[in-house]
Amino acid sequence: MDIKEQIKQFIIVELAGQPGLALGNDDDLLLSGLVDSLGVVRLIGFLEEQTGVNIPPGEITIENFGTVNAMAAYLGAKVVSG
Amino acid sequence: MIYLLPQAVDQSADKYPDHEAMRFNGQGITYAELARRTDKLARLLSVQGVRKGDRVGIYLNKSLESAVAIYGIMKAGAAYVPLDPLAPISRLKLVIEDCGIRHIVSHPPKAKSIQELISECPGLECVVGLALTETSVRSVTWEAVNSLPSGSAPALNLMEHDLAYIMYTSGSTGKPKGMMHTHYSGLSYAKMAADVYGVTHQDRLSNHSPLHFDMSTFDYFSGPLCGATTIIIPEAYTKLPASLSKLVQDERMTIWYSVPFALIQMLLNGVMAERDWSALRWVLFGGEPFTPKHLRALMQRLPQTRFSNVYGPAEVNQCTFYHVPPQPEDKDEQVPIGRVWANSEGLVVDENDQPVQPGEVGELLVRTPTMMRGYWGRPDLTERGFYRRKTLGYLEDIFYRTGDLVQELPDGELLFLGRKDRQVKIRGYRVELDEVETALSRHPQVDENATYALPLADGNAVIEAVVILKPGAAVTAMELKGHLATHLPPYAVPEKILLMSDFPRTTSGKIDRRALKEQALVALDGAGG
Repeated sequence: MDIKEQIKQFIIVELAGQPGLALGNDDDLLLSGLVDSLGVVRLIGFLEEQTGVNIPPGEITIENFGTVNAMAAYLGAKVVSG
Repeated sequence: MIYLLPQAVDQSADKYPDHEAMRFNGQGITYAELARRTDKLARLLSVQGVRKGDRVGIYLNKSLESAVAIYGIMKAGAAYVPLDPLAPISRLKLVIEDCGIRHIVSHPPKAKSIQELISECPGLECVVGLALTETSVRSVTWEAVNSLPSGSAPALNLMEHDLAYIMYTSGSTGKPKGMMHTHYSGLSYAKMAADVYGVTHQDRLSNHSPLHFDMSTFDYFSGPLCGATTIIIPEAYTKLPASLSKLVQDERMTIWYSVPFALIQMLLNGVMAERDWSALRWVLFGGEPFTPKHLRALMQRLPQTRFSNVYGPAEVNQCTFYHVPPQPEDKDEQVPIGRVWANSEGLVVDENDQPVQPGEVGELLVRTPTMMRGYWGRPDLTERGFYRRKTLGYLEDIFYRTGDLVQELPDGELLFLGRKDRQVKIRGYRVELDEVETALSRHPQVDENATYALPLADGNAVIEAVVILKPGAAVTAMELKGHLATHLPPYAVPEKILLMSDFPRTTSGKIDRRALKEQALVALDGAGG
């Protein structure tokens, strides 16, 4: 499963508890209520575990975490730059 | 003379026409523009059938339109009713039908939910803010409202004791209850808060709270009363502390007001060392206790900023404050909620409404001009919520029963100790645990259930539920969470649901919630929480 699918599965199953929910790669996750403040913390933990990337607090911003696509781009750049 | 809330906007439009009243996502609206747009919305609502005393829903994500909606509705003589944009449709339906909302002010991002609301609520007649098709419900877009010719709001014979807004909160029976506030109670609060915190037109206030949360009234009422600028913080920022702390810096906010949770998040994860908050002169926090060690750390980081603990159930807006002095390193007690503020009276009473001795624990009763009139359509709850003291032979002083247990310290400050009932606070939001249990019991496969709140090390609390299923039932805990998500606001859905075969019981056979909570706390400790 690619990272975008993994993120979506985590959000709809683990955070929202609504496995059948449709979620778009460009949906505004933080406006929707699917991900609240504690959800962000859990999501970061999940991403760090899955990718081995360290995500410092200063980079947990709207630009990097507003949508599934933004997260995938951010993580992709982190992996490339090591 | 100002005696109605919208007069605050019109007065500031006269004094500071080109000054920004509200800002959102880098865009602003001046006082002159806010006055014009609210006049137009009021006229439009009037043409669409809104009459004095009506209730009009606001169903908006945070936006500049929030301010236009609040003041436009009040200028039309109606009370605004904030509808939580994140609440499930079934819950909004309860609110809409409870207070007979026929008109809603919204915007295009809520189009899908509006369609669902329309099919669930046959009483809806008109939606302002987006275009609807294939329905008999009338609709008017914001473009159409804004392109109306300029002109004043409808002339109405409004008085200060007329309704201004109704805010709904968790009710223990499973049905939300609506607190009816008037222009008098709202404006009394706005004036008092402006006075206590010395708000001026040069201030830049944070609006962190959503509209359906009573803390928003400081940002939306006291701001315009003083001609200040209120920065409406987009929802996304409230979840990302590093972005939020940058917004405080970039918008040069001078007064911050939120639940402690938001501040703790910024303290711990908001890269504060990289931020310049030198414009910030006052931090107000309330809604729940602030973990002492985090409060101390934040105060040490912001030595030029004053800190105040703000207390008051939404029924009275606010009624006490405590200006927090520097906190010594070795002190880990809660800071007090302070004293009952000016033009108000507080009583600390026992079970029989008799004043307790100074220093003894009792319930706080408050008499204040910032108090609501009652709960919409609920004379029973209203009567229970008030304490009436005979005065002048045959008249009454009316106090609100806060349900909060307090203790007067030797220096006269009040200390908050907890609740008389089963209400808990989750990130500042009031949740009646009985309401969560009622919602769980509505699931056809649930036999018995119990809920309790667990305190976390970071000062937050989470709700947990335990459930006994009916024989042969096969529903999972996750499915039960999904069921609750369709009936309760997100903050009221338990973090964890545990399926059990039996509960600890008291000798009379009742569920022993205390024992359940203790078991859960042991489990939490074991998990390193």
